[in-house]
Amino acid sequence: MKKLNKRLLRMIKNTKGQFFAVLSIIITGLFIFTAVNNSAMNLRDSLNSYYSITNFADIFVTAAGIPESIEREIEGRENIREADVRLSIDTRFITDNEDERITVKAVSVDGKENKINKLFIKEGRYSLTGNEVILIDQFAVAREINVGDEIRLSLNGREHKFKVSAIASSPEYVYLMESEQVLLPDPGNFGVVFIEEDYLRKISGSRYFNEIVLTVNNYEQINKTKDQLEDFLKKYGVVRVLDRNEQLSNSVMQEEIGGLETVSRSIPIVFLLFAGIMLANMLSRTVKRDRTSIGVLKAMGLTDNEIIIHYLKYAASVGILGGLLGSIIGTATSGAMTGLYLEFFNIPMLRVKIYYQRIIVSVLLSLIFCVGAGFWGVRSIIRINPAESMKPEVPKSGKRVFLENIQFLWDRFTFSWRMVWRNIFREKRKFILIAAAVAITTGLMMMTMWMNEIMDVMFVKHYTDFMKMEYNIGFNGFQDKRVINEIKEYINYSDMEGRIEFPFEIKNGRNSKIVTVIGIEEDTVFYDFHDLEGNRLKIPKDGILLSSNLAEALKASKGDKIILKSYVPDSEEKYVTVAGVLVQSLGINGYMDIDYMNREFLHKGIINGVYINSKDDVKAKLNDVKNITSIQTQGDMQKIFEEFSGLIVAYMGFMVIFSGMLGFVILYSMTLMSINERTLEFSSLRVMGFTKQEIFRMLMKENSVMSLLGIIAGIPLGKWLVNYIGVMFSTDIYTIQGVLTLKEIVPAIILTIIFIISAQLMTYVKIHKLDFMQALKSRIS
Amino acid sequence: MRDIVLRIENLSKYYQMGEVRVKALENVSFEVEKGEFIVILGPSGSGKSTLLNIIGGMDTPSGGNVYFDGELITNYSDRELTMYRRYKIGFVFQFYNLMATLTAKENVELVAEITGSKVNVEEVMEAVGLGDRSDHFPSQMSGGEQQRVAIARAVAKNPDILLCDEPTGALDFETGISILKVLKDVNVKYKNTVIVITHNSPIAQMADKVIKMRSGNITEIIINENPIEPEGIEW
Repeated sequence: MKKLNKRLLRMIKNTKGQFFAVLSIIITGLFIFTAVNNSAMNLRDSLNSYYSITNFADIFVTAAGIPESIEREIEGRENIREADVRLSIDTRFITDNEDERITVKAVSVDGKENKINKLFIKEGRYSLTGNEVILIDQFAVAREINVGDEIRLSLNGREHKFKVSAIASSPEYVYLMESEQVLLPDPGNFGVVFIEEDYLRKISGSRYFNEIVLTVNNYEQINKTKDQLEDFLKKYGVVRVLDRNEQLSNSVMQEEIGGLETVSRSIPIVFLLFAGIMLANMLSRTVKRDRTSIGVLKAMGLTDNEIIIHYLKYAASVGILGGLLGSIIGTATSGAMTGLYLEFFNIPMLRVKIYYQRIIVSVLLSLIFCVGAGFWGVRSIIRINPAESMKPEVPKSGKRVFLENIQFLWDRFTFSWRMVWRNIFREKRKFILIAAAVAITTGLMMMTMWMNEIMDVMFVKHYTDFMKMEYNIGFNGFQDKRVINEIKEYINYSDMEGRIEFPFEIKNGRNSKIVTVIGIEEDTVFYDFHDLEGNRLKIPKDGILLSSNLAEALKASKGDKIILKSYVPDSEEKYVTVAGVLVQSLGINGYMDIDYMNREFLHKGIINGVYINSKDDVKAKLNDVKNITSIQTQGDMQKIFEEFSGLIVAYMGFMVIFSGMLGFVILYSMTLMSINERTLEFSSLRVMGFTKQEIFRMLMKENSVMSLLGIIAGIPLGKWLVNYIGVMFSTDIYTIQGVLTLKEIVPAIILTIIFIISAQLMTYVKIHKLDFMQALKSRIS
Repeated sequence: MRDIVLRIENLSKYYQMGEVRVKALENVSFEVEKGEFIVILGPSGSGKSTLLNIIGGMDTPSGGNVYFDGELITNYSDRELTMYRRYKIGFVFQFYNLMATLTAKENVELVAEITGSKVNVEEVMEAVGLGDRSDHFPSQMSGGEQQRVAIARAVAKNPDILLCDEPTGALDFETGISILKVLKDVNVKYKNTVIVITHNSPIAQMADKVIKMRSGNITEIIINENPIEPEGIEW
């Protein structure tokens, strides 16, 4: 081995504490990068290949009544490749527990196999003859239903028995949610069953179909094709025309994957930046310390470039090793991480691939960062004159530090505090780095605490403060308002109101969105609306209230006139005034007075559901009421959230450890550097009679001052991060809003302090082991 | 015919310190023959280190010329000066300046590696009397031993000129003598030209030529017809 390389290895060995500190930060950054990015890539690749194999639809049309012949007519139209009409009906899944009200969507399958949105059989054989059905995988698993089992569905008030011939996944239900109002998948309470077309039409008594799925030749013209379809199908009572990006399961998937990609790109950069700053600092100090050796190397005839490359190898070795280890660990764990996502997503052909190119990208990324930072640190090598380097360095002029000018204050400091302040002011760069690391740690901790809190607040607030109904009953289609009287006969209630939840297309200039608009009583007791300033809002007699994320998507604000279109046959677009923008943490909706909604867009006196507050066991009591397809309770939603919170806890632990590690490692390595450089100073103090504890206390005071500054700076940083997260991660499903309170700030600071104290204790061990006297004995370059 | 390896002509060096122009060397001229053992003698501040640095290509003069083997090195570019140092010059410093993280032998091998010299490192180590200490790190060696390593390191590239800056300055008398002996042996064995700068006048007795300096000028050049062996020197 070349002797300079040997010197390099020994240099690494002698600075192993700092080397491993930088290494661990790089490993962490690239671990997050590869693990999260690979998971995103695994999910995206698998999803795309799943969509391709199953011929996932590009357009989804819902209409009132579509004749079968439309299929051929549409297929001949511009940009339409294939079309498939189908019947989709919400049925009640009958169990032995009479209190349970579970919705299962029955979807018709034409002939042997549907050509669009093909099913992916996981178990059993593809057979749809008579009462043989195929059941969606997630529901079968949650309900422990196997191939060959019998299931019972209530359709139009009549019970039908079916035999499960197969269990399958569907590309339409990768994320199994009943509607966007449900927010989280609850596979035990919502399922999908696929039934042979003629059989389903027969038992449901439906002459017409109500859905069309289509594929197109050119997806770029999707908007034009949608508009054309909408016009063409107007006479069939189009309810909504969605493209693939608006389809519920797919849009959730795309948002999840997009979120993962954002995390994988942003967090590792923070880690690499810190590793780079540390490395630059470390190498610049090493060059300073090795000034004479560098002079000797120059005297021996080594060129500046050769010496720079020698030192850059240190940076390169930490970069390559960190890149390799981080990406290998990340790749190895990406399988488990992808598995965590599979708890929520059903992609049957998910294969965890090893993305070798990702490892290469990680190594290159880390190498570029480290060598770049390294060069910044060692660039002063060029300025070292070999002749000058042999002479002892001229001591820095010992000018007064800023605080010394404030005589009144300075006089009050003890000797050791004066040394502390002088060191801080003379080593500004090092201390700024410590403060920055502590600030980032505090900020990240605050963000983590806030996210935990906000998820809880979002759900609890939404289901207790915002929505106040204990039960939300859904009907099978529109009913006359008088149906409420029938329900009233079955249960004792404290409050009951009819409601409409119906999809509308809302347009404001170029922006448009299809969302569920909720029609409620003007003086409803089931919602509590507040605007962004916290003022209470009432349902207007005319006009619409928009959730803040909907207003944002439409770029609409109070007083604007926006266009609403209901898709009900013969209904026309109408201008409606935005009466207010309200705070809503979950979901994306508009709210109108039910009478106004009926009058302007639907028919007078109809509803498609009721809200109830009651002490009764409503589920059991309404079991036999016809046309009820769903009964959603607060308790159900709470249960779903509790299942979901496991993932949040795992995420929190992960973030706390990594953000704490960042602060710990930087503080520890910077202090180690300080100890190495100041051994002579400490030795002199020891000769003067200072104890090891006193020297440690001095170092601790320096670090504590900077850590305190870091913590203070971390509070606004945390606030910024929280706002950033709010903007970046708000989707149609969540609107992340909320301010940091002491409830999050205090534990975040306590956790940061714990990591700081741990780093200080590690430093104490190092100080205790140092042989100060040895440093005074000789001077060897 | 005299074989001149180094010719110094009217060499001057000035430093600007604030508004004051400090003279380090002025009109220094002399010649060095191949294989000569030269001692440059002078008190602190006489300009001898500056002279050595310019001869070694580590510093540039304000005026005058330095010819090495007939080539004007004072016109050399940075790169040419580096190559000159690499292949022609060996340095021995007062404080040894060894690489602390390399063993004695590795310190010597480093130079051989840089220059591509085919010299037998073990033999050089033996020649400086360190055959059995080659695997020790500098911190495990005495000052004298470290200086021997420094000499071995300088010799290992088989330089034309060995420049020694106060090689005994940090050593006790006996160790100092042993180092001078090593330098003399190297001078005889490898036929290198050796230039030693020192403020210690008794060392001049072992030189073939003594150049005395004061305040940046050469005050006297003495040709020593009968140099004595290092063992005979006392101070």
